[in-house]
Amino acid sequence: MRRLAASLLLAIAAASCGNDPYPDADASARILYVPFQEPPKTLDPQVAYSVYDHEILSNVYETLLEYHYLKRPYQLIPGLALEVPKPRALAGGRVAYRFELRRGVRFASDACFAFDGDGATQRELVASDVAFGLMRIADPKVGSPVIETFARIAGLRAFGERLAKLRESEAGFAALRIDEQYARAGPVEGLRIPDPHALEVVLDAPYPQILYWFAMPFTAPVPWEAVAWYDGREGRDAFAEVAVGTGPFRLARYDKRSRIALERNPDWYGSRHPEWEAPAATYPSEGATGDAERGLLSAAGRPLPFLDRVELRLEKEQIPAFTKFLQGYYDRSRIPKESFDQAVREGGLSPAMASLGMRLERSVQPAVYYLGFNMIDPVVGRPAGERGRKLRQAMSLAIDAGEFLRVFVNGRGIPAQSPIPPGIFGYDDDYRNPYRLPDLERARRLLAEAGYPGGVDPESGAPLHLSFDTGDTSVQGRLRYQFFIDAWQRLGLDVQLAATTYNQFQSKVRNGAYQIFFWGWVADYPDPENFLFLLAAEMSQTHSGGPNTANFADPDYDALFRQIKDRENDARRLEGIRAMREILERERPWIELFHPEDYALVHAWLHGMKPSGLAVPVWKYQDVDPALRAAERSAWNRPVRWPAYALAGALIAFALPGFRSWRRERQ
Amino acid sequence: VARWLLRRTAWGAATVLGVLLFLFLLFFVYAKPQDVARRALGEKAPPEVIAQWLANHGYDKPAFWNPAHPLDTMLADHYRRMLTFDFGKSDADDVPIAKRLRHGVGPSLSLTVPLFLLGLPLALALALGVAFFRDSYIDRVGVVACVLAMSVSMLIYILAGQYLIGRLLRWFPISGFDPDPSVIARFVALPLLVGLLAGVGSEVRFYRAVFVEETGRDYVRTARAKGAGDGRVMARHVLPNAAIPILTNAVMEIPFLFTGAILLESFFGIPGLGSITVDAINANDFATLRVMVYLGALLFVAGQIATDVAYTLADPRVRLE
Repeated sequence: MRRLAASLLLAIAAASCGNDPYPDADASARILYVPFQEPPKTLDPQVAYSVYDHEILSNVYETLLEYHYLKRPYQLIPGLALEVPKPRALAGGRVAYRFELRRGVRFASDACFAFDGDGATQRELVASDVAFGLMRIADPKVGSPVIETFARIAGLRAFGERLAKLRESEAGFAALRIDEQYARAGPVEGLRIPDPHALEVVLDAPYPQILYWFAMPFTAPVPWEAVAWYDGREGRDAFAEVAVGTGPFRLARYDKRSRIALERNPDWYGSRHPEWEAPAATYPSEGATGDAERGLLSAAGRPLPFLDRVELRLEKEQIPAFTKFLQGYYDRSRIPKESFDQAVREGGLSPAMASLGMRLERSVQPAVYYLGFNMIDPVVGRPAGERGRKLRQAMSLAIDAGEFLRVFVNGRGIPAQSPIPPGIFGYDDDYRNPYRLPDLERARRLLAEAGYPGGVDPESGAPLHLSFDTGDTSVQGRLRYQFFIDAWQRLGLDVQLAATTYNQFQSKVRNGAYQIFFWGWVADYPDPENFLFLLAAEMSQTHSGGPNTANFADPDYDALFRQIKDRENDARRLEGIRAMREILERERPWIELFHPEDYALVHAWLHGMKPSGLAVPVWKYQDVDPALRAAERSAWNRPVRWPAYALAGALIAFALPGFRSWRRERQ
Repeated sequence: VARWLLRRTAWGAATVLGVLLFLFLLFFVYAKPQDVARRALGEKAPPEVIAQWLANHGYDKPAFWNPAHPLDTMLADHYRRMLTFDFGKSDADDVPIAKRLRHGVGPSLSLTVPLFLLGLPLALALALGVAFFRDSYIDRVGVVACVLAMSVSMLIYILAGQYLIGRLLRWFPISGFDPDPSVIARFVALPLLVGLLAGVGSEVRFYRAVFVEETGRDYVRTARAKGAGDGRVMARHVLPNAAIPILTNAVMEIPFLFTGAILLESFFGIPGLGSITVDAINANDFATLRVMVYLGALLFVAGQIATDVAYTLADPRVRLE
């Protein structure tokens, strides 16, 4: 009994520590606290392709170009380059871009630079580091997922092939230092280094979108010393587990199973030379409409970064993460489905949350989700001619995307009218697709015109049988697809769900043996080409393995696509995009569903937060007010102690009579 | 004694070798390394990348028999690696498994050791108390409470603990972990409390039964007849005599302190060895999973031998032969 009391006392003593998950010493520091749901798969910038990878990478590594933090549509600004280069036409249809690198940029100091024996732990960034990163994309051992895009650089693919051959045929080659291997297999024709601070990139054919890729971590300069040193041998980490970049932050701690921390990089050029007022090292003075009202311009012109540290904690489950956000221990949070009604009322912040000083940040992502028809299918596709077209139009009219959003994602999204999402050139806020308003009457008429009156196939006398193919066998997936199937059933159509394993679905897609599917696309870069190419014939999934899963092939569309794809954003391009939109409107290879919308809750003490759907270095623009945060945290987290005392009292009251009667018996 | 120890160890070794064979059949023959590669690299990985991955992990060798080099097979590699504790890299992200285990031991022990050191005395004290007041209302209510506590699932304790203590009462962080000495106690407190509550019911009931049985023995009557007080009888006579079942229960737990508490660690976000197992299952990381099962088998065998040895220490009548 005495022990029980002692342990209870211990618990009460411990309770007085409170629920603050962070060391007290950090309470007044400029630290941003954010949860992460999944650790990065890799920190190798040439390999990383997931949101989780890029969230860390884009703040530690830097790229030659970056996106303007506030402006929408997205706009490129110089990063490590002094300016955004203009294309220069060369003979034979080739195009060259000359990047002038900022001088005096240094890599964050790291043990790997002591490699050459002179004892220095850092060095300056030079053009060959950029070239080295690009050459890694072609190195088969690296396994970069974007070699197809960068194979447009003259000779890059051939370099990778030479490298592989040398490794195989020449004894001892594979054991050479990585920079020596690349030097022996090089040079790459399309990567010229006229002086140590300039890089000329030559493409075999015009591809203006290449500039967007120079704002993605794939093109981040990488020091060869880091790749050579961090080889995962003799107790050294693997290169995918470290980060040696030039960025505003450096990796202070990388414990993927619980905690990742970034700290301000004292060697960052922006921190050493605020007087340069470099575009990527200064808070912007202009933004999109509404940014000034939202306080996003209050730091205009100030040198970046503001934060001293970014602390990320693993939170696999959303509910505990959200609870900690409500307690003030995370500075921003996504909203779990279960808590959505608690946080959001009619698209705005609920009064309860607003009274805590929070803000709701909504932003539509550069992505589109859609239902697609397999256009080479004899019933729903192009072979069915006018009948097929009217069937697709009717089915499109039956789907209410707004209802879908309300039922499945708490309305977090806007119904899509065309493949192009907001924030991308060619998006038209006023455009309403006449086949994307739910209209069952018109749908039934079209269905009758298609020769399926009341949804009945005259050949069999039974409702027209179609299959909805998916590689998602989860319960949630089934519920979602049932929504569409029910909608088509109202027209009398008999659509069956064919849910198989992902591999089986993939092989069905390869063989063209599917009819209707659900799919989504998230922008790699903010250009309409990155969406409209999803329906270009050359990208056909079944014929060429490309992302045109609908196998849409329309000569007019393709001709227009060729016109717009390499153009500047001018009136002619807009005209072409409109014409393509009209073709899609009529032909209906897709039933456009929605562009997802991100809802983030932000505490009053976090400033400069603007959501972005792309891999953008965001933390250098953000700031916190630690004093306000500390005050709110202590106000929100006073422990409730009386239940501990009550419990202890109840236990004693329970045991006391027994103890008394034992004493009595003894006497 | 030496011969007994030798024989026990030989049996234990045979068990572990059998577990290894079973692991091999399960993870190399039934689940093919090709499938693991596909999961690790994604659907879009070209065949060359998959072949490279298999080669890097040593999964491109023949499974059982290699005519050219009889020992260069996956089976031989599997045994060699496990028996020399050279665990290699994770299938999911290529992190060395030994490194991951090293990082996981600390967090696991910082929860399981206090859980064991507080849990055992707490259960013994409560059981002694309940047995002492046997047939009174304290005993009856105590037993009912124990049965109730046993019947509730661990998950309920965890979720209720997080909600009540973490969220409503705000005593401790609802989850998370940080080895920093200034905050580690806050993170361990709630899982510790939950673990104690969830475990104490069955243990108290078990120890109570042991104690009640002992208090009915002749030597207790003799002790009382000689004038020993109630407290002295319980502490000096009943407790040592009940040592064998207590040891069986407790010594067996010690090796498993190292493997961590799977549920508590996963739900409270403690990056220990228990959640490594769960993460490995979720990520199809068979290399790590094999190591965890192998270590579990080793510790189980070690625990059994330790229990037998402990018997002789507690009871001179027991001999190892």
